[in-house]
This record gives sequence, structure tokens and C-alpha cells, in this order.
Amino acid sequence: MKKTLILGLLALSCFHLKAQEDFQFGKPTSTEFELKKYGQDTSANAVVLREFGTAYISSSNSNLIFNYHVRLKIFNSKAFDKGQIAVMIRNQGGDAFETMRDIKGVTFYPDENGLMRQSDLDPKQIFKQTKATKFSDQVKFALPNIRPGSIIEYSYQIESPFIHNFRTWEFQEDIPKIYSEFSPRIPGNYNYNVSLRGPFKLSKNKGEVEKECYSPGGGFKVDCSKMIYAMENIPAFKEEAYMTAASNFKAAMYYELSDYTDFHGVKTNYTKEWKDIDHELKTHEWFGLQLKKKDFFKDRLPATTLTASDPLEKAKGIYHFMQTWFRWNGIRGKYTDEGLKKAFEGHAGNVGDINLSLVAAMNSAGLDAEAVMLSTRDNGLINNLFPVVSDFDYVVCKVNIGDTYYLLDATDQLLPFGLLPLRCINDRGRVMSLNKASYWIDLKASQKQSKTVSLKLDINENGKAAGTFSVYSAGYEAYDKRRMIKKYNSIDDYVENLDESLQKIKILKHDIQNLDTVDQSLSEKYEIEIDIADKVSKDRLILNPYFLERLSENPLKLEERNYPIDLGAASETRIIVEINYPANFEITNKPSNIGLALPNSGGKFISNTAVEANTLTFMNHKLLTKAIYSPEEYPYLKELYNKIIQSQQVDLIFKKK
Amino acid sequence: MNIKIIFLSLILLGSKAFAQTNYAVSSIPKNLLIKAGAVVRAYDEEIRVNDLTDVVYHTKFAVTILNESGRSEGRMRFYYDKISQIKSIKGSIYNEFGLPVGKFGEKNFQDQSISDYSLYLDDRVKHYNPAVTTYPYTIEYEVEIKTKQSLFFPSWVPVNSTAVSLEKSSLKFICPIDFKLRFKEYCFSGKHSETTEGNTKMLSWEINNIAALRDEPYSPDYDKFLPMVKLAPENFAYKGIKGSFSNWAEYGRWMSETLLKGRDVLTEQTRQEILELIKNAVTPKEKAKLVYQYMQKKTRYISVQIGIGGYQPFPAAEVDRLGYGDCKGLVNYTKALLNVAGIESYYCVVYAGSFRRNIEDSFTSLNQGNHVILCLPFKSDTTWLECTSQHSPFGFLGDFTDDRVVLACTPEGGKLMRTPKMETKENAQIRTAELTISAQGAVTGKLTTQFSGAQYDNHDELLNEPYEEQVKKIGDLYPKLTFQTTQLQYKKLEDPKPSTIENLSFISNDYCSLVDGKLLLPINKLNVFDRVPKEVRNRLNAVYINRSWYDEDLITFNLPENYNTTFPAEKRIVDKAFGKYTCDISYSGNKIIYKRTLQLNDGTYPAEQYADLVNFFQEIHELDTGIITLVRR
Repeated sequence: MKKTLILGLLALSCFHLKAQEDFQFGKPTSTEFELKKYGQDTSANAVVLREFGTAYISSSNSNLIFNYHVRLKIFNSKAFDKGQIAVMIRNQGGDAFETMRDIKGVTFYPDENGLMRQSDLDPKQIFKQTKATKFSDQVKFALPNIRPGSIIEYSYQIESPFIHNFRTWEFQEDIPKIYSEFSPRIPGNYNYNVSLRGPFKLSKNKGEVEKECYSPGGGFKVDCSKMIYAMENIPAFKEEAYMTAASNFKAAMYYELSDYTDFHGVKTNYTKEWKDIDHELKTHEWFGLQLKKKDFFKDRLPATTLTASDPLEKAKGIYHFMQTWFRWNGIRGKYTDEGLKKAFEGHAGNVGDINLSLVAAMNSAGLDAEAVMLSTRDNGLINNLFPVVSDFDYVVCKVNIGDTYYLLDATDQLLPFGLLPLRCINDRGRVMSLNKASYWIDLKASQKQSKTVSLKLDINENGKAAGTFSVYSAGYEAYDKRRMIKKYNSIDDYVENLDESLQKIKILKHDIQNLDTVDQSLSEKYEIEIDIADKVSKDRLILNPYFLERLSENPLKLEERNYPIDLGAASETRIIVEINYPANFEITNKPSNIGLALPNSGGKFISNTAVEANTLTFMNHKLLTKAIYSPEEYPYLKELYNKIIQSQQVDLIFKKK
Repeated sequence: MNIKIIFLSLILLGSKAFAQTNYAVSSIPKNLLIKAGAVVRAYDEEIRVNDLTDVVYHTKFAVTILNESGRSEGRMRFYYDKISQIKSIKGSIYNEFGLPVGKFGEKNFQDQSISDYSLYLDDRVKHYNPAVTTYPYTIEYEVEIKTKQSLFFPSWVPVNSTAVSLEKSSLKFICPIDFKLRFKEYCFSGKHSETTEGNTKMLSWEINNIAALRDEPYSPDYDKFLPMVKLAPENFAYKGIKGSFSNWAEYGRWMSETLLKGRDVLTEQTRQEILELIKNAVTPKEKAKLVYQYMQKKTRYISVQIGIGGYQPFPAAEVDRLGYGDCKGLVNYTKALLNVAGIESYYCVVYAGSFRRNIEDSFTSLNQGNHVILCLPFKSDTTWLECTSQHSPFGFLGDFTDDRVVLACTPEGGKLMRTPKMETKENAQIRTAELTISAQGAVTGKLTTQFSGAQYDNHDELLNEPYEEQVKKIGDLYPKLTFQTTQLQYKKLEDPKPSTIENLSFISNDYCSLVDGKLLLPINKLNVFDRVPKEVRNRLNAVYINRSWYDEDLITFNLPENYNTTFPAEKRIVDKAFGKYTCDISYSGNKIIYKRTLQLNDGTYPAEQYADLVNFFQEIHELDTGIITLVRR
């Protein structure tokens, strides 16, 4: 789905470009005034008519100056919120903050008599909130007098000392755009890697040299490459359920500083080859140097874990120790925040603190462990064309034992050894080792989401059914279940609540095993009693065997999909039911046998019922072999769910002979 | 001199040693451990009014977190703004045995703005939840917050969440002897005490030993079962304003004279526009409707928390100029416009939300409302306006503000009034449908549904959306049905009461399943009652049903040729105090006619009847999910 292409920055065409300018502020065209609907997408509540941005490095202080200007048409009241603008600007304290200025805004609206009127943004209605979050300020304003049919327009400038990522330009947003143009001007002594994401092509991709455009002083003058990138008729981006980060799919242009040459001709490389990054990270104060602190962990690991002779047992011991030692503060990151020592002593830290500690601790115990940098699902996919360190927002531990390896994340106590949380299952990770070159590994869930349910019931003539109900869960299934149970004070409380939410079923006894032994599957056994007598006809007994697992609606609702369906992990559910019923009863209704398969061995659904001498056996198997299904596979997947729901709604009916 | 100092510090030390509490988990009374994830060991709130512009809150709080489920009870959040300042925070962490294992202070807290969708809000919060990895543990803290206002005081609510028990809590209110504190106790069986010393007096309340509550569905409003004390001043100061009130009449007068006064000025141009607009209208109601629609077209709702802490509306002329405002600004603006048209209206404070809550008759305080609406006191035809919606019909409040006591600011002062109640059958969803079944089990359906009263906006999320979007989202509104839409249309009716009509045609390929040559027909996929609440053993709270409503579905199934059913015609009635359900299945030719009605009756019922309510809903759910077998003739 994702297409990335490098734009040759220096492959500038020789024809001369007329200096491209911003469109005129506050002068919509008559076509724009008359536009009643956006022809390419009549469902749009609003459309961006034109959008223009420039970005350049200021000669006066080498800050990045970004100018933004947009004009939108508001078709109806559903899009009125487009007139309330909130811009987050970075503020890391000291000199490292961005400034937003020159905010201008105007609304053109049809009045009661259909005449167009103009209303300017009142500067008093612009509000700045300093330190809205730890690292950012927020500027908010609302454009006046918006009504259906209005045109709104605003522009502003942001000055930023953060030049590393230059300025990301988002061609695609939640409303369509008729025309979007970005014109960066990059001095020759700055070199950026540029990538364009998304499925759409640029309608304009031109460049020219602007002579001596950057002159920071001291006689130092550099030419700039001035680029013009534009797209036309960009459709709105619409999120779908079960998809990974929207940024993977949205059309946008990304920058990453590659190198910079200063006044004296000294060149500093930023984005490099992996070998440079390897070196840099190995010596990085918050990464490699932390990993070397393995001695710190020597006398801090419990002796019992260290004496294990089997390396796997030892690794498990250390992993579980670290899992329970730390409380994750919810913050992601690949670097430690305050250093491993401080984090360890405080029992808390970000992902970097915890998982780099884990790597160091493993190494201190003589195991072979490496750090793996990755990008979480929310953070999007990583650039595969050239190394971009800032793409990674997470780090986990890879421990190598014999010929196999295990990926570990100690931020969550409920994860079994070797299973990464779902947020980490995203394409590839880069293994950073202290003593060899870095390399890629695939990040796949090591375990299926799997569940086996078994129900054994004896029915008597009065319609009382008694028996056992057991559930074994593994992988993410067990993880989710453990999480749910932990929300209650105790297992007893959980079961009481479960019992209360199953109206027709009484739980007489329960036995839940391995709630805290996360490496083993979670087992729940319930002794239950159900009243299945039909209230109307005394001779009938009705039972739906799916009483805990029943799916009441199809999770896939869209008629068609544009983006892949990402379920995170493969999954499997087996249900086995055995029912003994009285000899003077017969079965009048039971589900038909079904066997359904998805194309490309993507999965299946099988349901079988057999009756033999007053015993009904019912077996049901649902298997989804893939974590990600393509939009082409969507109709089949949806239909599979339909069939599952249909089959689940069939009750077993027993009737007195 | 020196001796004095030593003496003083001895006293301090002595009192400190004395105050040292035993936080060992073993000392928690056993009854407080039942169904508790956390136990509040001590919660002592002290409010000291030095003068009207100098109030100090001192809170001492200790909570033992027993397990993961109680961890969020350890989260500390302290709010502040331009007039309230956090003076100090300090705290300690104790282990299971009550031994101190750590300390924390203000530097451990994260600071951030309460960034919401408001255009402007300057409130901020400091928050922190210590990282402790072994349970149980105890967090103890003391915080002091100083504020320059005495207009409102937070209520004392010793326990405010489920699964939390409480050992002891106290409230001390200390103020100058001439300061008049008004208060009201709820579910509080103890006695407060009042003592005086010199020029100050102290009122205090204490409560001990509250066992953890469970989550009980269909509970009444929390002040019906949680012990609490609400506080209010008589004389107060707030951001440069001084005033006093002790009843709603005075409160309303204060609002009119301070917050609303002079905010209704409009430009001459707008005045002329309004006069022009209404010149041909005869009755005041006609005029009011024209003015209301004028306002709806001209403005949009934006949350703006500016002005006196969010209590004072934007001036009418500002709203007129900007074309936006929050509820206060828009109500005040509409009031000003109506004024030009010669129509009287009252600015009314209301607690809005589908869960009805009254402005209290017997206790006057700020913060009882969260929204404002407008009342037009026409003779024998009092009309109410919601001013924040561009689409609300004239005179329609919906379930957001219906049937509750509000405070109207009238020229004679504040007055409590009640918004109109929509009767059971007005809150209706009435549907007729014709479903034609094919021999393969597919269904072609056509249905018309009318929504009114509290159900008026059931499907409003689709209204005003383009057709493509409606088609995309309609599936979520009929979750049991997998279908393709072939036609969808909405219509709004205003007379006699506002209602919405939905016309939907669809094809559903998997409506019936084929089993052994038989067709299984789910009798009701359009309106299945699904929200059967869990049982609650030993329920404590009364059963409360917030609103009455009525649903009616009439479905005609056309059976495929050569199919019929052996199922007998059936009529079921479930009739309880909470409501009544009927379902009637009959046959005629090759048709099955299914009629379902469900009525719910609002009211408060004894706790013992809760099991009955669960059974009522469970029975409805089962009847709703019934399946009829069709066999080939």
C-alpha cells in the first residue's frame, strides 16, 4: 500500500521557473464563491480550495521559517469545526521553542439576502496557551460568522529552531483538497532526504536554483534549491476500523536532515549509513553507554535467577524479575530518560529505561542480548530506503539462546516470555548489538491469539443442565483475559460478576489457574447449572451452546475497504461441546455442518454436529491464519463472520418423544 | 526567647509524633476489605476562610491500594488557575506494614493545561501517581491550595467511587464568626458540631467506616446514596465582584444585576433587521420563532470559557459580530434579539444531560447547572429554547434538558421552574416494515420509522450528512442486520410535535439461515433489546428508571412460495411495574405479521425489585431473539 519514492533534490531541471508565489489573500475567485459541491466527492462537507506553504532557513538566525496559507469552502454545518483552529507548537524550554505569528483570517459568508459578506478574524480572539503539554504550546482561534456556503481563509507563520525534520507537508487530510502546493527553499549547505508517502502522484514537481538566497553573514552565501511540489484533487482520507497508523497511508512529504556544511566548509552528517548510526548509538549517552552498565545489575538481580543452569530458564527469570520490578510510566521512546541506574532505583521509567535495563541485565548474567529499535503501530511504518533514526519510537530486548531468539518487552507484567505487546507488531525492527553491525528482523507475533472452549453438560428431563465449562486461552487472548480479570479485586469478584452477567447460568464452582504464571496458558474451569426448559412448551428444551462466545454483530461493517485489515495476530478458536440428554428426548433442531475457507489459506470456519446414543457432540473451529488481510480479501473475511453469526444463532432444541 | 523556641518546637514534634498514623494493612477493619480495591485510611479536609478573598484548602489524604484494580485511587490531581494557587504538596509512601518507603513532592508532579476543545481555558492541573510495584501500599499526602474566591466551595464527598472503602474522613470549615455558611447534608446520619474560639468559628463533620460500594446499574443520582455535604456562602467575593445570596430569588437577582446586566446591547443595524424580520408576524410566538431561526442561521456553537470564570456570557453585540458563542453567549444573544421584538424571556440555568437532575429547591449554590437555555413565558404557553443547535426545532428541548427544575433569572429575581415532561408515548419510535423473504433466505426490506420526543434524535448523527456517508454509517444503527442499502431518506416534521421520519430499503442476503432444507427466520433483527443488566446480589440502591419511552414495531414478512410454518400463532405479554412488553405473531396467507411493543416507565422502585427488572429485560431479550422455522410445503 505504501509507496515511498525519493525525489532527486539535485536533479534540477534546467528550464527556468517563474518564481512561484503564494495565492492572493482574501480574494476568492468567482468560481470558488459559486462552488456548491465538490464534484469529485459530493459527500464532502468541506473542501480545501487552495493551500500553499513555503519553508526556508532564515538568513538572520538559521531558524526554519514556515508560512502556511489555506482557503476552504464550507458546504454545511458538519464542517463548521474547520473554522476552529488549534495549532500545537513545540516548546522545550530555554531557546528551544517555536513562535507563531502573523495570524490572519477571514470569512466570506452569504448573508440573509444571499449577498456575500466579509468578516475578519479579530486578533483579540486569538489565544495562546503556554505549555499546554510538557513540550508544546497551543495557539487557538476561531473564524467568525461561518455559515453553510462560507469560504474561510487563514494564514500564519511559524519560526522554529528545530530544523532536523524541516517541515512535513500533509497533502492529504480528512477533507478533500482541490490544490495543495508546497514550496521549500533549501540552502545548498543543508541536505535533506525527502520522501513522499501515499498512493498519489505529484502534479507538479519542479526545481530551480535560487542564487545566494541564504546569507547568514560573514560573507558566507549559498544558493538554494527551490522546489515546487503540488497535488491536485486529493481525496479525503477516511479511517477504517482495524487499520494501523493513518500516517502509513496518508499522502505527505517527509524530510530528514542528511548533512549540513558550515561556514568553514566542515560537513556534519546527520542521516547516514547504518554503520554510522551503529557507531553513534553505541556511543550514545542514553543508549549504547547505558547498555554497557551491565555491572550495575550484577548484584541487583535475585540470586535464584542467576543460578539457573539452563540459559532459557535464566532468561525467563530475569525477564519476569524486571517485569515486576518496573512500572512503566506510559511513555515510549528508544532512549533512556534519566539513565538506567536512576530508573531502576525508582522502579519506574519509559520504554527505553525499562527495556535497555533488561538488555543490560541479561548481558550481565552472561546471556547474549541485543536491543531492537522499532516503530509502534501508532507511529507508523519505518522508512526502508535510508536509515531514519527518528522513525523509531520504541525499543525491546532480543535474547539469543542457542539457535533461537526471543523478543521481550518488560513494560507489562502480563506479557508472557517471548510475546511482544500488539503495539510493537509492526513490520520490522533494527537489532542494535554492542559488538556487531546492526540488522533487520521481522516483527511478528510469536503466538496466535488462541482459545479452546469445552462444554460438557448432562441434561435431565426437567430441563436442568449441569456440567463443566472450561476455557484455555493463550497468546494475546490470555493477555486480554488476564487484564480483564485484574480489573477486579480478586478472582472471586471476577467470577461473581461473570455469574451475574450470565442470567440463565449459575456458576457453582470455579477454578482459575495460571493467572499470574503468564508463560502458561490461562485456564478457567467452571461448574455450571443452566435452566434450559422452554417456558412455553414443557416438552421442549432449548440451548444455545455459544453462551459465552456468541458474536452478536459483524465486526466488519463497511461494504468495501480501501486499506488492509490489520488484526495484529493470527487467531484460532476451538469449541467442543458434549451434551448427554435423556433417552425420551430427541433433537429437532441443530446447526448444519459447515466448512468454509478463505482464499490463499487465509483461514477457515468449520462446524460439525454429531449425535450418537443420546449424546450430542458439537465441534467448531475458527482459524484466521494471517495478521493482515488485503482489501481484496475483505469481502471473504466479512462473509466468514456472517456465516459464523448465522451458525451461532441456531439453537439446539430437544423435544420429548 | 530561646526557651520559647524550644518549647514551641517540642510541641510541634509532640503533635507530629501523635499524628503519626498506623498505615499497616493489618489494622484495616475486615469489613472494609470486602470488594475493595483501595481503602481510604484518612481523608481530612479543612477549609479556612480568612476573608472573602483569602480561602485556604488544606487536604490530608491517605489511601491504601490493595491491588491493581485500586491503583487509580492513588492518582493525585490538583487543579489550579489564575485565582487558585497550589502552595505546597508533600507526601509519603508506606509499605504493607506501614513503614515509610519513599517520599514525593511537587517536583514529582506533571503539570499541564486542561486542554479541551474550548477556544480558551486557563485552568491547569498537576498530576502524579507514584510508581509502586508491590501491593499493598499506602500513599499519604498533604496539599494546600489557596484561592482568592469565596463564591463556591467544593462539596465534601468522602467516598465517590465504587470498590473503595473508607476508614475515616472529616471536614472542618473555619471562618470568621460573622461569616455565614450555608450547607446541606445528604445521606449523612452523623451530627455536625460547631465551636467558636475568639473571632473564628469552626463547623465540623466526621464519618467513619464506609464499606466499598459496588456498581449497581439503574441506580439513582449519586446524592441519593453517597454521604456528602454541600457548602455555599452567603457573602462572597469573586474576581473583583462582591455579592451575597441565600436563596434562589436573591441568586437570580445577583445574576441579572451583575453577570447579565448591560450585556444585551445590540447595534442599531441588528435592531432594524429584527424589526424588519418580524413586521408581518402577528402573535408573539410567530415573532419569537422568526427570531430564533434568525439566530440559528447566524451563529454556531463554540465552547468559550472566558469571562468571569465561565459564568458571564459574551456581550450580545460580540456574538452578533463574531457569529459564534457558547451556550451563555447564545442564550443571552437570543434574549437580546427577542427583547428588540418586544418579547420577554428568561435566562435559565439547567443541569443538562440525558440523566435528569434538578436545580435544588432547598439549597442555593453555584455550579448546580452546567448549561443555559431560554424560557419564553407566554401566557399559558410557556416555550423553551435550546440556543446552541442550528437544527433544533423551535420550542423543542429534547432529552438534554426536559422534565427538570431549572433556575430562571426573571426581573423579579430567581425563580425555579420546570421544563416540560415528554410523556411516555411521545418518546416514541414507531416502525412499520415489510420484509420479503426469498427461498434462499435473502430478504428485501422496506421500513419506515418515526422518532419523536426523547427519541427524536436517535438517528440524528446521520442527518445532514451526504447520502454516501449515511449509507456507510446506517449499518451501525441496525447492528444485527448485515445489509446493503438501496434507499435511505430522512424527513423532519414539526407538527404537531417534532419528529424524524426515516425511510430505508435494503437487501440482506444472510437474513435467514438454511438448515436441513428449512429456513430459520429471526423474528426481530431490527430492534432487539440487548442491554440486559447484570444481576446484583444484595443490591443496596433503589431501582431508578430515568425516562419513559415507547417502541412499536410492526413487521410483515412475505414468505417465499411453498413455504409455511408449523409454529402456532402466539401472543406474549410481559407486564411489570417497570413497563410492558407485548409481542404478537400471527399468520395470514403466506404472511407472518409480527407486532412488538415495549414501554418503559420512569420512576423509582424498591431495591428488592431489581431482580425482577433483570428478569423483565431478560425475557424481552429472549423473545426478541426468537426464531421461526419455515418448512417447504
